[in-house]
Amino acid sequence: MSNEDIRNQYTVAIGIECHVQLKTKTKLFSGANNDARAAAPNTLVNHIDFGLPGALPVLNEKAVELATKAAFALDTKPQLFSKFDRKHYFYPDLPMGYQITQFDEPIVLGGHVDIIVDGEKRRIGITRAHLEADAGKSTHPVGSDYSLVDLNRAGTPLLEIVSEPDMHSSAEAKAYAHELYLRMRYADVSDANLYYGNMRFDVNVSVSKTDELGTRTETKNLNSFKSVEKSVEYEVARQIELLEKGQPIIQETRGWDDAKLKTFSQRSKEDAHDYRYMPDPDLPPVTLEESYIREIEKSMPDLPDDYRKAFDGIGLTGAVSEDILATPVIAKMVMRAISFGAEHAKRIAFWLMQPQSEEPEGEDVVVDVDVEKLVALSEMVGENKLSSTAAKEVLSDMLKSGEDPEKIAESKNLIQVSDEGAMAEIVTQVLADNAKAAEDVKNGEMKAIGFLVGQVMKASQGKANPALATQLIKKQLGI
Amino acid sequence: MAKLSRDDVLKLARLARIDLTEQEVETYANELSEILQYVEQLSTVDVEGLKPTNQVTGLKNVMRKDEVIDYGYAPEKLLENAPSVEKSQLKVKRMIG
Repeated sequence: MSNEDIRNQYTVAIGIECHVQLKTKTKLFSGANNDARAAAPNTLVNHIDFGLPGALPVLNEKAVELATKAAFALDTKPQLFSKFDRKHYFYPDLPMGYQITQFDEPIVLGGHVDIIVDGEKRRIGITRAHLEADAGKSTHPVGSDYSLVDLNRAGTPLLEIVSEPDMHSSAEAKAYAHELYLRMRYADVSDANLYYGNMRFDVNVSVSKTDELGTRTETKNLNSFKSVEKSVEYEVARQIELLEKGQPIIQETRGWDDAKLKTFSQRSKEDAHDYRYMPDPDLPPVTLEESYIREIEKSMPDLPDDYRKAFDGIGLTGAVSEDILATPVIAKMVMRAISFGAEHAKRIAFWLMQPQSEEPEGEDVVVDVDVEKLVALSEMVGENKLSSTAAKEVLSDMLKSGEDPEKIAESKNLIQVSDEGAMAEIVTQVLADNAKAAEDVKNGEMKAIGFLVGQVMKASQGKANPALATQLIKKQLGI
Repeated sequence: MAKLSRDDVLKLARLARIDLTEQEVETYANELSEILQYVEQLSTVDVEGLKPTNQVTGLKNVMRKDEVIDYGYAPEKLLENAPSVEKSQLKVKRMIG
């Protein structure tokens, strides 16, 4: 039997837990600044983050608002009642000896995310999403026998989104992770910057020859779509190989080596955690009013599917539509341009669209220009006042200076000559100067017409409208 | 309720990160079993139809605005509580990695 045949005997089941860092100014339970990106170690901390005895956590209302938005982004509503629990374990980056999270009454239950893989739509169920506090960050100095802990990140608000084991291939896992990223970004729930670890994925994989789920492994802390995809591929192959050799799968936590593209065993079974969850007596429960939920629902920004529908309406579909969505500032601009007409919106989309790297990284793209100015530029192209090449030149100038497109085009002397009289003279001259080519065109060698148009463009210093030039050449040659 | 086994006590000790001597394992197996027996009386109470109580204050939605608060504890002061500090970080026994 070929490897492919063996592989096909197994059903793969994948569930993903995703930690989304919420876009708040302060931490989940303390008023410490939450932006740890450029801060020196242990400067964004207080007695609550340090877990000092007697410190009282107080819930950040913004985190509840963002979790509510996330619920809508997951196609559901938040729970009217939710509460916080303590999850106990000892680790040096967890000062209190427990993590504050939500156990049996999370803020979100249910929901789903639709993905498209190989042209087919698939619905991935969401089990739950709960609020919890992040742990500190540890580093391990090379060659030393100790680790260092920075608690700036301790207490950062996270929303952990848990999916059903509804994915069956690495491509589906990757598509789900990406769609979740887009939704959290567009819902304004998170900066969703993968480079800064704003979204981290834990991927559960199992394989089985029967209808029952097999023993699963969990690969933790993946921070790119590619590592989600590759770790699933690796785990599926590893598990099938073990089973084919008659060896058992050990239920365990695994890490991911991004350089070797391999998972590795991290925590053995005897360490299996007994978290002793208990309700946190310091934190009263959260109850949401229907009116509050409706208010948030009304304030929801457009989500990726709203954009897709609108783009589809002007004939931008599939990969093009996804490319535009990859940069929200551009997607928003194209969306606004639609009210000025599909032709303009499309032209603006193609102007602004840039090649996207597969992994979104670093800082956001900035496009600081009024949509009205872009539409004005598009109108000039539509009216043949500017060639498409000239328009790009004006655009790049406009993005820098913010000047009116007309002004830029005039100052750069780019306005096309569409005046038939003036053009006709240039054409007559070009035909006289290039009698051989003119004769060829007359004899049906249409290839030569491109050469003649080029000569007209040259004679007009690039300002001739090529369509009009072609038309006039044909007219004067009597064809 | 039966007496706690040696393994039960060792598991509790591990979860609580406490080292126990053999003598202590024996002592706590007895003492913890007695405590459990005492608490066991609760199982005789009829709780049919009662919701578990985990809050007694009656409070709900105690929240704060998303604004930075200066609590008046300087980071250096907080770090003074740590047994060992290096370069403003907490120095701990090496973890994996």
